[in-house]
Amino acid sequence: MSAADTNETLDKITKLLAGGLKTRTEGIPETEKEFGEILNELRALAPDDLEGKLVIGGFINHPYGEEQYRCMECMYYLVHRKWCDLPELAVPVEPDWWCRLWRI
Amino acid sequence: MANLLWLQGGACSGNTMSFLNAEEPSACDLVTDFGINVLWHPSLGLELGDNVKQILLDCISGKIQLDIFVFEGTVVNAPNGTGNWNRFCGRPMKDWVKELSDAAQFVVAIGDCATWGGIPATAPNPSESVGLQFLKRAPGGSLGTSFKSKAGLPVINIPGCPAHPDWVTQILVAVASGRAGDLTLDEFQRPKTFFTSFTQTGCTRNMHFAYKVSATAFGQRKGCLFYDLGCRGPMTHSPCNRILWNRQSSKTRAGMPCLGCTEPEFPFFDLAPGTVFKTQTVMGVPKDMPAGVDKTGYVKLTAAAKAAAPAWAEKDIFVV
Ligand code: SF4
Ligand code: SF4
Ligand code: SF4
Repeated sequence: MSAADTNETLDKITKLLAGGLKTRTEGIPETEKEFGEILNELRALAPDDLEGKLVIGGFINHPYGEEQYRCMECMYYLVHRKWCDLPELAVPVEPDWWCRLWRI
Repeated sequence: MANLLWLQGGACSGNTMSFLNAEEPSACDLVTDFGINVLWHPSLGLELGDNVKQILLDCISGKIQLDIFVFEGTVVNAPNGTGNWNRFCGRPMKDWVKELSDAAQFVVAIGDCATWGGIPATAPNPSESVGLQFLKRAPGGSLGTSFKSKAGLPVINIPGCPAHPDWVTQILVAVASGRAGDLTLDEFQRPKTFFTSFTQTGCTRNMHFAYKVSATAFGQRKGCLFYDLGCRGPMTHSPCNRILWNRQSSKTRAGMPCLGCTEPEFPFFDLAPGTVFKTQTVMGVPKDMPAGVDKTGYVKLTAAAKAAAPAWAEKDIFVV
């Protein structure tokens, strides 16, 4: 993805989340099996279904829960590229966002 | 001259394959340069049938001095403790193992099966397999906790699935050349010289481990395999990144997670679906932390490391 495309996608996601897109933040995967099931759902999406990724991933545009979990500390987050490197997501993200595939 | 006898129990012969590939020293060097006389070995011995049995009987009676008894594979006790599923030269192998171990100056267990049961002893363990002096982490095994060979040492355990060729030949040379007294063993009777450091020691991905950059697929050139792909390098005692495999590489260097094959619990989680090549987490936090690290420290370290990570850590640095 070129830098312009990345910025455009980031804008799009920002707007969708700010616009109140309802995503599945419930059902945080507790086991690898549950984690894998979410990945399978993501794999079944059309490659350009950005909204589908956000909904299934359970994206929010702020830190999550009491412990304030966020992309910034997530294993899949590339700080300098501001990028989620989980292959099934592979989207630009802001450090203060979170999704239910978060892992540390 | 040191007489060596090598037998196999419940095994795949992987450790024999590994042994025959040794380079420093090689299996031939053991004979030509280090005075080891191989009395019999399942893949090398010329004798068959009654002639093999006679060698074993002569070792037990003392007619032949048995200096080193090497055992590869589990001690099979099925069915019902009889050991009849693994018979050799007319009787259960477990009976040969007991008597030969009592007759030997040194007993060396090679590979996970012989050390602590390995894959055959994984639940439900239908072959009732045990290692020579351990079953997984529990001391005892086939010979019992109090066993000492004639030279006064417990079984020397060289684990691995398989063990690295040079771990095997270097320990055999140390024993054969009278330097066994220099070997110090850890709590699982592994030679400390090989099993004090971790697989992670010397791993080329340590920088990515430190900066918490994750590999997300096998064979990727960037990233550490701990966070997503279940690498057990930080909690596995082995020299795999110090004494390289084929003198070239290691699993982690090639982008494949360490499976922890030198530890008693291998294979972990009884191979339940979804547990292999996947970091096991509870609500996103790894179940098994790097050795000596607690959860709070780990979370704090992650936050600091992520914040400090330089841009290059996110790129391929091993460019072809
Ligand atoms: S997996 Fe989720 S929490 Fe982690 S970086 Fe990607 S979007 Fe953020
Ligand atoms: S790949 Fe494995 S051994 Fe290497 S640094 Fe990462 S966790 Fe450690
Ligand atoms: S890297 Fe790990 S699994 Fe591979 S041989 Fe070494 S200890 Fe065993």
